Amino acid sequence: MLPERLREEIRAVEKRYSTKRSAVMEALRIVQREKGYIEKEDMEEIACMLGMRPVSVNEVTAFYTMYNIQPVGRYHIQVCRNISCSLLGAEHLISYMERLLNIKVGETTQDGKFTLSTVECLGSCGTAPMMQINDTYYENLTEERIEEILKGLE
Amino acid sequence: MEKVLLKNLGKPNSHKIDTYIQGGGYRAIQEALRHTPDTIIQMVKDSGLRGRGGAGFSTGLKWSFIPKDPTVPKFLCCNADEGEPGTFKDRGIIDNDPHLLLEGMMIASYAIGANTAYIYIRGEFAFGARRLEEAIKEAYERGYLGRNIFGSDFSLDIHVHRGWGAYICGEETALLESIEGYRGQPRIKPPFPAISGLYGKPTVINNVETLSCLPAIVLKGPKWFASIGPEKSPGPKIYCVSGHVKRPGLYELPMGTSARELIYEHCGGIRDDRRLKAVIPGGVSAPMLSADEVDTPLDFDSLAAKKSMLGSGAVIVMDETTCMVKVAYIILRFFSHESCGKCTPCREGTIWLTKILKRIEYGEGRTGDVELLESLCSNIFGRTFCPLGDGAVMALRGVLKHFRDEFVYHVENKRCMV
Amino acid sequence: MATVTINGKEITVEDGTLILDAARQAGFEIPTFCYQAELSRLGSCRMCLVEIEGQRKLQPSCVTPVMHGMNIWTDSPSVVSAREAMLEFLLSNHALDCPVCDKGGECELQDMVYKYGPRKGRFQEVKNRFHDRDYVLSPVIVKNSNRCVQCMRCVRVCREVVGVGVLGAIGRGHKQEETSFLRQQLDCDHDGNCIEVCPVGCFMRRPYRYKARPWDLTRAMSICPYCGTGCRFSIQERDGVVLRAVAMHEVGVNGITLCARGRFGYDFVNSKERLKTPLVKRNGRFEPVTWHDAMEMIKERLGTLQGERIGAIASPRLTNEELFLFQRFVREVLKSPNIDSDPRWNDTTVEAFVSVTGIPEGGTSLFDCVGADTVFIIGGQVSEENPVVDYTIRRISSERRMNIIIGSPRAMKLDASAGILLRHGAGCEDSLLIALACILTEESGLQDGKALLGDLSKEGFIEQAGVAEDDLRACAKVLVGSNSIGIFAGTSLLRFSSLRGLHLLRTVLERLKKALFIMPLLDRCNQRGAWDMGVHPGFGPGYRGVERRGLGCDGILEGVVKGEIDALYIVGEDLVSAYPDGEFVESALSKAGFVVVQDAFLTRTARFADVVLPSAVFAEKDGTFTNQEGRVQAISKLLPPPGEAKTDLEIISILSAILGGAFDRTESKEVFDTIKETIDMYRDVELRDEPSQVSLVKGSGAVFRREEPPFSKVVYGEDREYPFVLITGNHLFHSGTFSLRSDILCGLLGEGIVEMNREDAESLGVSEGEKVRVRGRGYEAFVKVRIRKDGLRGVVFVPENFEDTPVNRFLKRGEKVARVSIQKPS
Ligand SMILES: Cc1cc2nc3c(=O)[nH]c(=O)nc-3n(C[C@H](O)[C@H](O)[C@H](O)COP(=O)(O)O)c2cc1C
Ligand code: SF4
Ligand code: FES
Repeated sequence: MLPERLREEIRAVEKRYSTKRSAVMEALRIVQREKGYIEKEDMEEIACMLGMRPVSVNEVTAFYTMYNIQPVGRYHIQVCRNISCSLLGAEHLISYMERLLNIKVGETTQDGKFTLSTVECLGSCGTAPMMQINDTYYENLTEERIEEILKGLE
Repeated sequence: MEKVLLKNLGKPNSHKIDTYIQGGGYRAIQEALRHTPDTIIQMVKDSGLRGRGGAGFSTGLKWSFIPKDPTVPKFLCCNADEGEPGTFKDRGIIDNDPHLLLEGMMIASYAIGANTAYIYIRGEFAFGARRLEEAIKEAYERGYLGRNIFGSDFSLDIHVHRGWGAYICGEETALLESIEGYRGQPRIKPPFPAISGLYGKPTVINNVETLSCLPAIVLKGPKWFASIGPEKSPGPKIYCVSGHVKRPGLYELPMGTSARELIYEHCGGIRDDRRLKAVIPGGVSAPMLSADEVDTPLDFDSLAAKKSMLGSGAVIVMDETTCMVKVAYIILRFFSHESCGKCTPCREGTIWLTKILKRIEYGEGRTGDVELLESLCSNIFGRTFCPLGDGAVMALRGVLKHFRDEFVYHVENKRCMV
Repeated sequence: MATVTINGKEITVEDGTLILDAARQAGFEIPTFCYQAELSRLGSCRMCLVEIEGQRKLQPSCVTPVMHGMNIWTDSPSVVSAREAMLEFLLSNHALDCPVCDKGGECELQDMVYKYGPRKGRFQEVKNRFHDRDYVLSPVIVKNSNRCVQCMRCVRVCREVVGVGVLGAIGRGHKQEETSFLRQQLDCDHDGNCIEVCPVGCFMRRPYRYKARPWDLTRAMSICPYCGTGCRFSIQERDGVVLRAVAMHEVGVNGITLCARGRFGYDFVNSKERLKTPLVKRNGRFEPVTWHDAMEMIKERLGTLQGERIGAIASPRLTNEELFLFQRFVREVLKSPNIDSDPRWNDTTVEAFVSVTGIPEGGTSLFDCVGADTVFIIGGQVSEENPVVDYTIRRISSERRMNIIIGSPRAMKLDASAGILLRHGAGCEDSLLIALACILTEESGLQDGKALLGDLSKEGFIEQAGVAEDDLRACAKVLVGSNSIGIFAGTSLLRFSSLRGLHLLRTVLERLKKALFIMPLLDRCNQRGAWDMGVHPGFGPGYRGVERRGLGCDGILEGVVKGEIDALYIVGEDLVSAYPDGEFVESALSKAGFVVVQDAFLTRTARFADVVLPSAVFAEKDGTFTNQEGRVQAISKLLPPPGEAKTDLEIISILSAILGGAFDRTESKEVFDTIKETIDMYRDVELRDEPSQVSLVKGSGAVFRREEPPFSKVVYGEDREYPFVLITGNHLFHSGTFSLRSDILCGLLGEGIVEMNREDAESLGVSEGEKVRVRGRGYEAFVKVRIRKDGLRGVVFVPENFEDTPVNRFLKRGEKVARVSIQKPS
């Protein structure tokens, strides 16, 4: 069961829309915010709350790429590899980070601190190359900046 | 040209309601409320404003398709999904001047008779979403949103709906599906959203930049707007410049500024003073221009004449060191990742193209691959359900048109030419 | 109307016709994958692209309506190349494992590639694979996603027609897979409609797996032998074993759909338990005998009896021909007036039901009924008892959005489509309808309403029905505002009711000049046929009056007990399982002097017989059934009956010959001709595959009583010891006890359950699947609990189908509802 506090929050979201179902994306986001990822039970509970079938919730979690259906590290590093960032050396920075963290893209460090992913354009092309760690954008990256940023994270 | 879209950028606390009001904000909506909705629609028509989301459709005309029946609820959706690679203008407005967008939305909602509006913002823009929510809260506290705004009998609620990682949700009907809680796959048109949109009700979908033009149109008048830039696509335009230029960033300039002026005058020229190789003028879906087409004015019609398009106004600049096979691969990889899966040619075609391009890029190209790419492009183009698949093909065709020999070289020599 | 030119040929069609349909009308074929007439429009596969003069792009003909003056090409070079391109794309990631694919030989992709496809594949990359081995989605469904063409027909049929929505499209782009929640086993109707609509070998029948290739199968057109909906299908066998039942597009009222019973319940035909020789009981044990010996014995024992000392009961699963001959045999040869069909219903209630629902007035098409402004369902658990009617209503309502009103104590799937739900007390259909009729006269301001109602007033009835007056008023308003009304009248009306309420409602609506369509919902495939053929103590063929009223089933059994009836002739009916008071039937049967049972199985009733005659089932004979609409449809013989078994038609004609009353025309076709000649209702009937008005029976012309049936209140008072009211009916996977002989259906549900409301379950502290003790006066059973969210509190449902929970044991003769207690076993 989700904590009552979250259920309250989801119920409040429902009010913004003409149908309960519209709240599904936000409900899942709330769960992910709290737990880091979404499990089977969460999908079932949200389905029940919003009068949906579990498979319809599953359709949503599997369509939108930002839902984590597996646990991720405390810091989820998402490096943009689309055109503008690539033009300015994103691939190079990605392999730099793989070496630095000693993991491959898609993996999580042993201590569960970092997960490294690549993403498509994050809308920060004017300040490329860039990455996002959890909710925060880090732009105009260089090797040095990256090292500094990662060091600064608890 | 006096800036209207980015004028508050860089001001301290530019996102606060007080800063916005001090800069003359929230006067346009009060002015608008003194006119009838039809007058506002006419004003916007007269201004010649064309949608800044990509298609360049006349905004006033789009609004005029909304049925007038007051008993039918209507919706406004602001498209802040900003997913086209190279684009970051809407984020610029949202992060720095959210009230400009809110005021634009109030004017649009009033004009079409919507009492509920949603801002569909892409999920990655967490900062922007927070900014918008704070701004909306401020506006409610002042009574600028909610019931009877500014003492009129017009009421409006605005909600933020966060996307969660799907480029296709920028397509207007996919965006509606997404708000309704479904997978973001486009709907059949007709019916167009103006007749049957969100929850089956008449709906207008407009881009952030489009909506942000409205306060200035109302205050300064349609004539003023129409006088900026080319006659058929007037107004100020935010160009998002990225890639190999010295000063990338957002530039608000008159529509129709040439790529050369933008790159060399405003952005300080090419990084390390290298030679320009190509420019993508409107986000990756727009076919690229070669270096000798750099004088093309960046507006809807001039670019269409060059078989490209203005799209979202994202200008991606590439210098002579750029491998065009890699560019094509990255772009197609993006499209196959974002293909929603609904229609056959896009779902199967983009991934096939990507696999071939990847092979070529990694030195495993085969004889006939370039012809195969071209043939697959023809097999996809014009047959997809929505413009995403066509966009992928246009992009690839654009690269092949100018740099076919690089692909051939890659295939034959298993390595890059540059 | 719009006139368009297609490939140079001019054709005029209705406005709004899809280009696809217009082209088909003009005789041009356009290939499609995602298009399915019954489902929402998708326009995604792009197979059906056509060229329209003046339009830059090719357009999908399956979603584009014609416009006057359009000039369309369905075979231009660009169309041809687009088609080829789409097929190449679809094949690029398709598994191409045709040699081991069950769909091989009837695969739409295979056929289309053969016809339009690229002759050479250019795809040389690694294919996407969703999984390595096929996986099981349900006891009846296997899945292979590697063959999918993403037409979404499965997802749409599951949502839009079946209404369970347990399939979805998981993932995006080329990773999209149509499957269940986390690929888990489905909790659904297991009807396999997803299999039927799948154009490729993605959804497959599990029981049919690797059993045959389509070209190895012998086929026969038939009708589902379960409920009264009368779904048409093709049954198919190989080497004497029935392997599948396949619904067919545009054939039958059901089109592409079937329910689990229809699609998977065929295997009882090949059951090991089928009777193969006649049996005679000697010293309490059955011994196989020859037909000759069995017949001699019957001649000896029955031949000497007076007609009225014989009772005869036939199953409403026999064909019209068999029932017609049965009735002649009983009346003319045995000279007995004591004849009846289903032992569950009281014969006078049947008469009232038949009269009020207007059965003798002719057939009512399902589509007319669903096409009304308002559809009112009362007394029937459509979603479980007549699933295909449920599908039809749901499907049509999603387009037409007519008003739907449902009155039922149980929750059902169709509730989700209903505008008004009336959760009335168990067995209180009659009170509800009377209350509604009263309120309707008020709401409509009907002139002589008062006179109509006589001394009835709404108050007591509203209370009895246990619904809110406001809901009834809302209902009445909807009815007043509708020009046409379709009423579906289910078998609960036969079970409980005096039919006074429906009679009143009908009368009021007729006075209000509403166009009224009433269709009975019946749970046996030829129940209506049995009545039409006159298998009833009160009326003969075509509802003509009888000279002397005989006894119905109940009266016959009572007669046996009282010693007034000596012999029973029972054809295909299992009284012990069906008659409401199992104990009473058993005692009656054991008292009877001589019992002949003619059946395909040694039923619990057959065990009491002196002579058992092995009979054929639907797949083994020709004939006709008349469904609940009054639609007459043919079944045809696929297989010979096993061993020495014979069709009921043959047996009855042999019996009549032996007993000295040989009939002259005894072939199925000949008997049907006789029926057409003697029963006016059938005179103009034509047997058709597609649902057509000409296959509906006409008005009988017989004067049939339409006097007001009396009202008898269902009393179940308070009883602390037995706090629950027990109701019954068919389960989704079963119909009667016949389906218990289908291993496949028993694999879906093989034992009794008790369904209860969620709050009730919570207060008893029991959870889904837990076994509880259901105790009535004098009988108890242990069954698993099924929890339903929205049912009425204090009412439990136990399906009538299972021998391990014989619901009829809880009832005492004459009682309408039983009371039970439910306990957790300690
Ligand atoms: C694949 C695809 C992606 C799109 N993405 C966006 C987007 O991110 N933002 C946007 O404003 N419009 C986007 N559009 C355009 C919208 O569909 C729509 O035309 C626009 O929001 C209309 O607003 P406008 O008239 O103000 O331009 C996209 C279109 C397509 C086909
Ligand atoms: S059981 Fe009824 S609804 Fe189902 S297939 Fe058979 S006749 Fe049709
Ligand atoms: S049949 Fe028309 S697009 Fe699929």
